[in-house]
Amino acid sequence: MQKASECVCPEAARKLLEHSMIIQADISVDFAGLRLANPVFTASGTCGYGDELADFMDVNALGGFITKSITLKPRKGNPAPRIVETDAGMLNAIGLANVGLERFIEEKLPVIAKMSVPVFVNVAGTLIDDYVAVVERLVRENAIAGFELNISCPNVAKGGISFGRDPDQVNEITSAVREAAKDKMLIVKLSPTVTDIGIIALVAVEAGADALSLINTFTAMVVDIETRRPVLANRTGGLSGPAIKPIAVYLVNKVYNEVAKDAGVPILGLGGIRTAADAMEFIIAGASAVAVGTESFVRPDAAVRIIDGVKEYCVRHEVARLSDLVGALS
Amino acid sequence: MTRKAKTSAKGIFTAAVTSNRRIRECFYKMDLEFTGAGAKAFAKFQPGQFLQIDVSQVGLPPEHRIPAHLRDACRRDVLLRRPFSFADVTVEDDRTTAELLYCVLGPASVRMTGLAAGDPLSIIGPLGSGFATPRGKQTALLVVGGMGAPPIRCLAKSLRATHPDMKAIAFVGAKNAGSLPFEGHFDRVTESVDLFIPAFARFDIPAALATDDGSAGYHGLVTDRLVRWLDKEDGLPPRQTILYACGPEAMLAAVARIAIERDIDCQVSMERRMACGIGLCQSCAVECRLEGSDETVYKLCCQDGPVFDAREVVFARTPQGD
Repeated sequence: MQKASECVCPEAARKLLEHSMIIQADISVDFAGLRLANPVFTASGTCGYGDELADFMDVNALGGFITKSITLKPRKGNPAPRIVETDAGMLNAIGLANVGLERFIEEKLPVIAKMSVPVFVNVAGTLIDDYVAVVERLVRENAIAGFELNISCPNVAKGGISFGRDPDQVNEITSAVREAAKDKMLIVKLSPTVTDIGIIALVAVEAGADALSLINTFTAMVVDIETRRPVLANRTGGLSGPAIKPIAVYLVNKVYNEVAKDAGVPILGLGGIRTAADAMEFIIAGASAVAVGTESFVRPDAAVRIIDGVKEYCVRHEVARLSDLVGALS
Repeated sequence: MTRKAKTSAKGIFTAAVTSNRRIRECFYKMDLEFTGAGAKAFAKFQPGQFLQIDVSQVGLPPEHRIPAHLRDACRRDVLLRRPFSFADVTVEDDRTTAELLYCVLGPASVRMTGLAAGDPLSIIGPLGSGFATPRGKQTALLVVGGMGAPPIRCLAKSLRATHPDMKAIAFVGAKNAGSLPFEGHFDRVTESVDLFIPAFARFDIPAALATDDGSAGYHGLVTDRLVRWLDKEDGLPPRQTILYACGPEAMLAAVARIAIERDIDCQVSMERRMACGIGLCQSCAVECRLEGSDETVYKLCCQDGPVFDAREVVFARTPQGD
């Protein structure tokens, strides 16, 4: 029998689909014990705290939502220019600008409490104690499903990526936050700018990470040749967008094979995802779920479009359960 | 602080291009038509608000139609949307038409020149907060620097409709007579204040022109022209006057200084590099003073602006924006 996926003509594909066994695919995924309606998240720092996207899509249709980074004290962030576009990507150097823990609890948490999608709070800081203090304060909040530990921000002078590069520090901070997070899920977000991401991933898992998210951005620079200065006020920024996608897919596959598969720890894959096809690449490479970042800036409803596309992919390929495709790379 | 205009509901809409042509040098005028939900949303567009246009899927025109000096630069991909402000918005029954004035500077705007009548264009908007007119104002001084013209033109029309008795004068600055983003011929314009810019004259708003090279109007900065006018108008009550400005940041900083020295309310339309325009990316930081404090905070150009009260902005010393 000809497969629907082989049909060039949409009309013929639809007729075949009508006769196929699969009418509806199950795209829910198990994410470290949490059943998600679908595998699509929005990435931290690209979708605010939840209410910013309300005009463009139903946030509750997502598989998961990750907030912008929260630090113990408010952070002003870096001066402008904070972004610059590159070929197939962009650099950002926001500098973890955020309202701080207290205002997050006052202003943002009530919004999050009304969301039915599992919400993860991305936590950043310059000292391990800062991370722990944020998590200890938020761990009793029922509105929060868990935490994403940001040890990979390239745009701050202290903390961020400096934690994520050193296996000893990854162990120390993950263990400390693991204890503070109690029964809430802990996702550790990894940087790609390390010698061996497999070692960092292993350390994070051994120290108690329930899940890994990868990758954060690459440290990069754009030079203004008229002024002979970097375009960004911070001089460097994190490269995101489609330019980094093939590297991200490779690193997800590497971490899946070397660490995550045997440890039974799910990967949240991200880096340049624009379409459902991109999302499927990550899933086949070993990601249990994916996050959409930069593309939300261009199409604020991109994440929900990708959910629809993932569903269509499963139907087209007669895949009854999406989770069967996680790490199905041959 | 001045009360800002209320923001309206925003969304992603597809507009249809109805015409797209060059008006002079690098300046183009594109007319757009919104129907359905887009027509409703943009019917509430406030002067000074902005929109984000997606040209990432629009192809480049044939090479011979690309200005020679931009052919290399145009090989760059376009990923992000580009912010623009409308120069004019007209509401007719169930459709809203808008005029987009743009300057061809790089890979995104070159792609825009290739659009023709009937082509669709993805637009997010209306975004940010626009200009507001506090009670009791009798004179509006509109200050334009180069490509700062569109939102001020839009404001001129709106002021005439909402405040028909208000006196208004436009002060327009440009490099030279040929680099004005308006239709018309300006090379014989003198230093006088007169109805010579049709875009303002149609609302009975006279203008004073200043050019860097003296090829039209006053030879010098538009802000110096403004000061000369203010110095002559010694009877002008500052409390009943308002300054509106859009243009390069150095010009906005100068207008703000003039306004503060003379205790005139002033609203400036700022520009920053931005990715999303809807508060997600946090990239369009504008440094602002905290009232009653020496501290400053970063506000977002896309959400807290692009129109700011001139007294709150700490202007950048280096050029910003694209």
